Amino acid sequence: MKSVFVIVAILLLSAANVYSEQSPAKMVMIQTVMCESIENFQAVNPGVVFSISQGEVFCFSNFDPVFKKTYVLHKWYKKDRLVFTMRLTLSPPKWSTFSRIQIRDADKGPWRVEIRDPGDTLLKTLRFSMAD
Amino acid sequence: MMETLFYLFSGFRWQDALDILLNSYILFRLYVLFRGTNVIRVLLAFCLLWIASQAAVPLGLIITNWAKQGVITVAALIIIIVFRNEISSVLQTKNLKSFLWGIPRYQSHTPLNIIIESVYELADKKIGALIVLPLKQGLDSIVQGGVPINGKLSQEMLVSIFWPGNPLHDGAAVIQGDWITSAGVILPLSKRKDLPSSFGTRHRAASGLTELSDALVIVVSEERGRISLFKENKTLNIHNRSGLKKSLREHTGDDSTKKGFRHQTMELAAAALISLFCITGIWFNFSKGMETLATYEVPVEFMNPDQKMEIISSSASNVKVLISGAKPLINSIKSDQINIKLNLSQSVVGINKLSITKENIVLPPGIRLKKIDPSELDITLDTLLEKEIPVQPNWIGKLPEGLIMKEAKALPQTIRITGGGLALKNISTIYTEKILLDKITESGTATVGLVLNPASLRLKNHNKIQIEYLILKKSTL
Repeated sequence: MKSVFVIVAILLLSAANVYSEQSPAKMVMIQTVMCESIENFQAVNPGVVFSISQGEVFCFSNFDPVFKKTYVLHKWYKKDRLVFTMRLTLSPPKWSTFSRIQIRDADKGPWRVEIRDPGDTLLKTLRFSMAD
Repeated sequence: MMETLFYLFSGFRWQDALDILLNSYILFRLYVLFRGTNVIRVLLAFCLLWIASQAAVPLGLIITNWAKQGVITVAALIIIIVFRNEISSVLQTKNLKSFLWGIPRYQSHTPLNIIIESVYELADKKIGALIVLPLKQGLDSIVQGGVPINGKLSQEMLVSIFWPGNPLHDGAAVIQGDWITSAGVILPLSKRKDLPSSFGTRHRAASGLTELSDALVIVVSEERGRISLFKENKTLNIHNRSGLKKSLREHTGDDSTKKGFRHQTMELAAAALISLFCITGIWFNFSKGMETLATYEVPVEFMNPDQKMEIISSSASNVKVLISGAKPLINSIKSDQINIKLNLSQSVVGINKLSITKENIVLPPGIRLKKIDPSELDITLDTLLEKEIPVQPNWIGKLPEGLIMKEAKALPQTIRITGGGLALKNISTIYTEKILLDKITESGTATVGLVLNPASLRLKNHNKIQIEYLILKKSTL
């Protein structure tokens, strides 16, 4: 009887292991915004229009929980042209991260940032404009 | 040789054949109407003068060329003034049929026997007479007076005109064909001093007319009953009927023998052939010698496109076509007479390279294609698709100091767009027209249009959308 219990326990553990490999628990993005700056792990003046006189723009993302060490991608587009991609590492149990771009006069116009997971799944699109 | 012939006859149209035949006939008719007169001889002289002058130019004969230009400039005037009688006789005395297609066989219908018998009756009775038989040249400006008779020629009538006591017996009677056209006509007197002293006024008048025209004049002297003929400034005394008949036949061309008729037919056939050769030569000189080039910019017309496809772009919408042809034909071309048609029935989605060949270009007859630029077009075709695309506002300007736009939401957030699949594939956002920030001080709504790029895209429903925006004061840190 004891041996049967042990076998059942092993089978259950194996099944759980297989399940965890097939569909790992994903991180949860609780906040993502464009902002003028970041202070104390918080976005300052989140918005959708930024002045180039500001000098830089941040894309801030906050994840809770994060089950394992992973990463997200911040893809910055000016109109439909990909300007750059930033890979941001996330660590358990929760993580805040950001990417930023320095802006100049030539950068005025509509922009967007796509936040994607390692499987290139689109988590969120942030749309904003660079203006005077 | 064959290439030259091919070049000469390339683009030969039925209109060209009609052109040549029509003008050849006109030239032939001019010959028929004026043959036998001095007009033809003078025109030939002018032609020779023109050919000589053409040769004078390459040879560098300056004065010859200059003199030729002067003569040819006044040639038309000279011809009209000098030959006004011949021209008016052709234009006035002929009916429409004889003017357009009748072929006069000289005075073939003149009843010579009636004239001969009348003349001998007058001579026998010693009645003076003056009978004029005009040929081709008109007499209107040479003779004076006279009474129109227009009576059928008969021995009795002709004799009675000259019968003493008849009011018309002093003048001349004019016979054309088998008609006495006028009587009592005053002829110009000759001023020659070499005429025999026996010649009276009647003879001097006959001589005077033949000095100025191609007419034949029969004179019957009143004193001796002698018969004399005057033609081309020459005098011939007639001694018997056969001599008179022979002379009259020579003048009227009344050569009723088969040989004479054949001779006239041969002459006319030769004239017709020469007219045809001359006009053909002139036509080739005009159409080939005056060959010119011209460039036309022609829009391309696309035929048989797939109904599910759309032309997204073309490397060129107009094609330059270099053509050659006779200058008059080139000058008469209208823009809609040149067409370029490209068949799209075999084209596929994406970029299609289509060659433009002679078969694609429709040109007017007689015009040849020299060059096509460009000779190949890149046509991008696409299938029509619909796509739901998010809208993003395009802000410009500067928000007032201390404010920040926290949110901006498009209503609706997405719109349906129709367009080519290739164009839609690369489009992930539709942007609004530029929205000015400078006067925004608080939250609100803006109604704006959308910018479609490329322009071939079509909006399914909305032309304008609303943007709701939230304005907050900036936090100061």
